[in-house]
Amino acid sequence: MTLITLLAILVSAALILLLGLGDPKRRRAARQGQGHGARLRQLLAVGGFLPGLNFILYGDAAAFLLWLGGTAVAGWVVTLVLASRSDPKGVCCEGAKAGKGHN
Amino acid sequence: MIHLPKQETKTMVAVHGWSGILLGLLLYAVVLTGTAAVFAEEIGAWSAGHVATQSAFERPMADTLRRLGDETPARYREAVDLFETGDHDLGLFFHRHEMDGGELISRGLFYVVGQDGRVIHRQAGTNEDVYGARNDNALSAFLVDTHVRLHVPNPWGLLLTGILGLSMLVAAISGLLIHRHLFKDIFTLRRSGSAVLANRDAHSVAGTWSLPFAFVLAFTGSFFSFFGTVGMPVVAMAAFGGNVQALTEAVYGNPGKPDPRPVAIGNMDRINADAIARAGAIPTFVTIENFGRADAKVTTYHPPKTAAIAPMSLLYDGATAAFLQEKPLIGPKPSAGGTLAAIMSPLHFGNFAGLLSKAIWFGLGFAMCYVTYTGIRLWLVRREGGVRSFAWLERTNMVVGLGLPFALAASAAAFLLAMPLGSATWWTPAGFLTGTALAIGAGALAPDTARLGAWLRSATGALLLVLPPLRLLTGGPGWGAALAAGQPIIVTLDIAFLLAGAWMLWQLRGPVGAPRPSRALQAAE
Repeated sequence: MTLITLLAILVSAALILLLGLGDPKRRRAARQGQGHGARLRQLLAVGGFLPGLNFILYGDAAAFLLWLGGTAVAGWVVTLVLASRSDPKGVCCEGAKAGKGHN
Repeated sequence: MIHLPKQETKTMVAVHGWSGILLGLLLYAVVLTGTAAVFAEEIGAWSAGHVATQSAFERPMADTLRRLGDETPARYREAVDLFETGDHDLGLFFHRHEMDGGELISRGLFYVVGQDGRVIHRQAGTNEDVYGARNDNALSAFLVDTHVRLHVPNPWGLLLTGILGLSMLVAAISGLLIHRHLFKDIFTLRRSGSAVLANRDAHSVAGTWSLPFAFVLAFTGSFFSFFGTVGMPVVAMAAFGGNVQALTEAVYGNPGKPDPRPVAIGNMDRINADAIARAGAIPTFVTIENFGRADAKVTTYHPPKTAAIAPMSLLYDGATAAFLQEKPLIGPKPSAGGTLAAIMSPLHFGNFAGLLSKAIWFGLGFAMCYVTYTGIRLWLVRREGGVRSFAWLERTNMVVGLGLPFALAASAAAFLLAMPLGSATWWTPAGFLTGTALAIGAGALAPDTARLGAWLRSATGALLLVLPPLRLLTGGPGWGAALAAGQPIIVTLDIAFLLAGAWMLWQLRGPVGAPRPSRALQAAE
């Protein structure tokens, strides 16, 4: 079960990565031009949900929860990685900015 | 997403902000310790150097149980709890139930049987003494206790964490209502330039990805906090004339005609073997009701079966050792309420599918810590330059946000030093308090928050790097010995601490307080 669940999370994470790479708002903010069209984004989003849907259809509640949680964490990590590449300001400097004017 | 009228959105923003600001720092402490406590069992094995892999329930125990039953005064034979303690030793708690100041407690005799079948510990006491922190589990017990009740005495600690869970629920719901572009913004993370924009994106992106679990964890956490402190007494008052013991027996007990004839307990080894075969897993806990009587009942509790979330429990006739039925958590027959109550624990602790589910729950907990921390920062940067200065709150947020991981690492170091001396139950919280005092001192002395953040990060990173060598120097098993004994978790946690420490120090590269130019498009652009 573990391997299949991991595989499902990986498939969804890969589709989330594609979604993120072509996300229009992220690309605009990062000055990277236009992103994917609406149709492609919908297809990728539906594809990302299919592994979870599969677990629901098989009645595997544990695998579904693992997939949902794992995909959520993977989505957050993908967003952080994409941001670190397009806007590589490290967290080392956030304190400096917030601390400005407080000292 | 959900479009509220402007005025209602404003109200929701205020509810979201103030619920976070008033209780956010305590909530952060509860969530962070809960995130670490997901691995409490593994941290226990790592910190105490436990290398045994054969469960106490796989070893013969029937003769020992009968012998100890004979040695124990009859007044403490009302019930027996059997569980693993220490390095897969067997704990047997012969006890009776009694009310103490309106609280249902268990009092009796506790024995620990070592791997060679000999009694290595004997103690008279209550459930609090038996299930409380010991020298070898002081670190994991400290983590769990901080998460469950912030070390505030019962019932106030549980009520406090229950209220914190509710405030998290309020923040999650109001956050969902005020975020107009939940999915549109899910990949938008502008990290430089405007502090408001950077913090808003950081907060909302982590919050959006983890939103379903924020509901689940907040609800189940509140459920556990309020179940015993509010739910049980209220139901007992309404339906059992205030008798909590009668309520507990009705809900969790096994109804049947009492038969007090003295009959020796059935073969416990047979029950264990049958239970392991039926559940496909070793019991996590076993209870015996009416020990030594004809109506004795044995219940074995197991982790969920493959594809299931709810834990499994099996009921046996205590006198004959015959299997009776699969037992629901609540009541004698399966019910929707019983199933719901049974899945609360795996949903909250993420312990339904071994290390994978724990790792995922750890990641979700970490995301929620990040949401809480960045939420408070967002509230503060929005008020920068206002009439009122919140510099003290900014420093406090940093002392708690970065000082708490440092204090937890300090408690782990104190545990490793004190455990071989037998004084870990005292030194683990003392180490935590020392770490806390140092973090507060740094908060008072640091010239600015950038410097404070760098100090706390470097101290935490250095301490995390020190933990694995400290464990080895204080007598913990080496990597070869741990792997040979089938305990890879010790090596895994060593590597995790080394990586976490190195990552924290890696973040500090470059001069502190030197922002790099932003490539990101700003809101005003």
